[in-house]
Amino acid sequence: MSTIASNPSRRFARFGAERWHAAPGPFKVGAVILATHVLFAIVGFFWTPYGFAEMGAGLPLSGASFQHPMGLDQIGRDVFSRFMHGAHIVLLLAFAGTILGMVAGTTLGLLSGYVGGWFDEIAQRIVEAMISIPFLALALVMIIAAGPALAGEPVLIVLVVGLVYAPRIARIARAAAMEIATREYVAVAELRGEGTWSIVFREILPNAANVLLVEFSLRLSYAPILIGALGFLGFGIRPPTPEWGLMISENRNLLIASPVTVFGPGLGLASLVIGFNLFTDGLSRMLGQRPVAGA
Amino acid sequence: MKKLIEVRNLNIAYGGKAGWTNVVQDVSFEIARGEAFGLVGESGCGKSTVAYRLLGYGTINSLVQTGEVVFDGMDLLKLDTSALTRLRGNRIALVPQNPTTSLSPGMRVGSQIREMIATHRALPDGISMERRVVELFALVGLPDVGHRYPHELSGGQQQRVAIAMAVACNPDLLVLDEPTTGLDVTTQRQIIQLLCDLRASIGMAMLYVTHDLALLAQIADRVGVMYAGQLVEVAPCNELLAAPAHPYSRGLIASIPTVDGTDRQAGGLRGVLRRDQISTGCKFEPRCDFASGPCRTTPQVLQPVGDVRFVACMKWREAAVPQTPAGKPSQRVETTRQDTLLSVTDLNLSYRKPGSFDRFFRKSIPPVVRDIDLEVRAGEVVALVGESGSGKSTIARAISGRLPPQSGSVSLNGDLLAPALKSRSVEQLRQIQYIFQNPDASLNPRRRIRAILERPLDHFGIETNEMALAAVLDNVGLHAGYLNRFPDQLSGGERQRIAIARALLVNPKLLICDEILSALDVSVQARIVELLRSLKEKHAVAMLFISHDLAVVQQLADRVAVLYRGEIMQLADTGTLLGDSLHPYTEMLLDAAPGLSKDHYVSHPPAIPTSRAVPGIGCPLVGRCPRQVGSNCAETRPPVRQTGSGYIRCHVPVDELASPTVRPGLKPLSVET
Repeated sequence: MSTIASNPSRRFARFGAERWHAAPGPFKVGAVILATHVLFAIVGFFWTPYGFAEMGAGLPLSGASFQHPMGLDQIGRDVFSRFMHGAHIVLLLAFAGTILGMVAGTTLGLLSGYVGGWFDEIAQRIVEAMISIPFLALALVMIIAAGPALAGEPVLIVLVVGLVYAPRIARIARAAAMEIATREYVAVAELRGEGTWSIVFREILPNAANVLLVEFSLRLSYAPILIGALGFLGFGIRPPTPEWGLMISENRNLLIASPVTVFGPGLGLASLVIGFNLFTDGLSRMLGQRPVAGA
Repeated sequence: MKKLIEVRNLNIAYGGKAGWTNVVQDVSFEIARGEAFGLVGESGCGKSTVAYRLLGYGTINSLVQTGEVVFDGMDLLKLDTSALTRLRGNRIALVPQNPTTSLSPGMRVGSQIREMIATHRALPDGISMERRVVELFALVGLPDVGHRYPHELSGGQQQRVAIAMAVACNPDLLVLDEPTTGLDVTTQRQIIQLLCDLRASIGMAMLYVTHDLALLAQIADRVGVMYAGQLVEVAPCNELLAAPAHPYSRGLIASIPTVDGTDRQAGGLRGVLRRDQISTGCKFEPRCDFASGPCRTTPQVLQPVGDVRFVACMKWREAAVPQTPAGKPSQRVETTRQDTLLSVTDLNLSYRKPGSFDRFFRKSIPPVVRDIDLEVRAGEVVALVGESGSGKSTIARAISGRLPPQSGSVSLNGDLLAPALKSRSVEQLRQIQYIFQNPDASLNPRRRIRAILERPLDHFGIETNEMALAAVLDNVGLHAGYLNRFPDQLSGGERQRIAIARALLVNPKLLICDEILSALDVSVQARIVELLRSLKEKHAVAMLFISHDLAVVQQLADRVAVLYRGEIMQLADTGTLLGDSLHPYTEMLLDAAPGLSKDHYVSHPPAIPTSRAVPGIGCPLVGRCPRQVGSNCAETRPPVRQTGSGYIRCHVPVDELASPTVRPGLKPLSVET
């Protein structure tokens, strides 16, 4: 039924100039940084000054110049072109991974919080076990377990990010669901004989949306760090794809010879994370709640 | 009379996103020494804002624009913090609305009172602190409970402690902000009586803020009626109640349900206070029956009419014409004996499930609700009445299937209903619809009214169209324009109407109304009762109406079941119950309900106050009952005795209960007007 599915987000869709002015400062700064990143990524996907894998674009390790603003790496590839092309990779992987984590974590968390009982007990013990392992260690274990066939594939990175995030998101979703489950409109739906899924997604999810939206954007801000770290350790995307973490790793041995080669990806990752963080902070202020610290 | 405190031209505004909103405008009144002044009005009229200003207190986003509050020659609004601190608690004291949140939960109540006395160095000479605290407890009718924590006391006892704390320094003025709103009828009545006694013994003045005019009738000398931040009428209490001059006061009084039976609905208020729809002239104009052209443009100010009476209405002469009794007297359409719709037999309920330990030792869990037998016929309204904690809602939960019973059965139309919700058929679920107490919580805030109404139809597979939705909204007094709104864009009364519409839409046989009026304003309540009555006549839907308010019940119900601590004490036709109550507990409830005039309430002392009720063994009313006949009451379960229209559960024989002469040492109640 189309009318039933009337989307509550429509209320937030009208984001005119008026609302922009009313938005908190961090939100505006974050939004501008993110918009710049997206624009840069789109341009970089379609056009770069040199090919991102084109060797011999100039003298290797010749430092910054007008033709090569970020210099050239040890096999003579233009770092700026690689930096531009890499922009979309980290954005896409971060989004895809976080969305996967959101879907899995929200579903598990809402169900666990609403159904309760032994299902909740088992789900929470698994979630706790996963959270207790440091996320990088967990990610590495998963990549190694996946075996060489998948190694270096973007799908694997997305899967790993999703699985690392899912338990953390599940905790937040569970807490929200437990609180909402006591409201009377949930009782009304129960008295109607609605099924568990229907109650979770029709009654509880829309009311947990604010919390989950903030959680989504918070997770999104950590995703580039995780992806970058995996790339740096050599477990990320397969070379020669210019993923930023991989680029830093490739060029770090030559830091003394040509330091400018790692500035681009480093600054790119840093500004992306800062942009996401400011955006999250502003968003949670607009939705009237504090971001969950350290979760 | 000497003025104790005088409020002059008080204007208060609240700051918000859209700038300043005037909340209180040009309020002026004074309170004499020892006088009890009542402030009454619907929620949002600014009465509490004014009351807190008498303590020199305001929230951070409020601003006093003009005006003075002169207490004993000092303007409270100009005093600095330290001067106010000396005054507050010492000379002006506050009794807040909710004692559960106003007493510190981690401190013994004795030390909380001691703190109050110590802060103001208000210990009388020649008496120790301990003695004084015990004295104060005695003053409010409590034993020495100083060593207890607030959670160890009942709501009524907590409020007594709060009052003891307020009067600890013998204040000149006591400000009471809805002090009895959260309490049961009988407790409420005892608190009111206590306040009257205190006033007589200490001689302090009181400002009593409430939405309940019937309560003010019992305690206040003069009453100020507030509407949209303005005083619209100030009059001596009995004059106001007998002949209200302002149309708003008149509507407010007409909205109050009273147990004495007359049908007052005709003169009730329409609409709700909408601050965005106020005309430049009289603020009440959009809702006023007497309004004419000039009303819209001429602001109304308080003018004296008579010696001690002020009214802000140019048409007060028309409005003050005594109300002709509404056309039809309360005529009850006698429902002919029809088929039983719902029948509940031997229901025992408990919230705890027996664990394996209990099962092993064959330990039974004492039920919170015992031996309930109830019958609802098709098209009949049966009310469940009782104090909080008496198990009213628990019974409703069991009938609706949310709480599987310990034992006993519920059947609908002769078919046994499964104890758990999950095993009931869709058809059975459709036939019982539940309306919750709080409309804010029972409508999903993220769905439009249309989605809220269509979902049950869709779920039960009922064909629908725009016409049906519009018709049902029309039925509950709304219109199709509401379909695209969200619940937070509606007022409390409108939301409750949506909840009723949602329940009606699926054509239920039985509506369970769980305290559906208690979250609403008096005038809104009156209109919902009206609505329910018309629904009952039009749709012949049966209702199980749960309420703590006998006055509301008598307007609506055909039969009433009175519950006490999980047992039905009496079941009878509404008329019989109110006219000839028989059961001692019903009598207590009826006596406690305030009427619209001073009724000199005398509480009946329990016959044997020392005996304790043990659940499941004796009569639950033991220790509280004015007619208790001895150890028999405490030791054996009271027998069920048939009466004309139902039954009662009491050891005292029916004919003895019917004759008031056997009550030892009790004056017959004199009804004065």
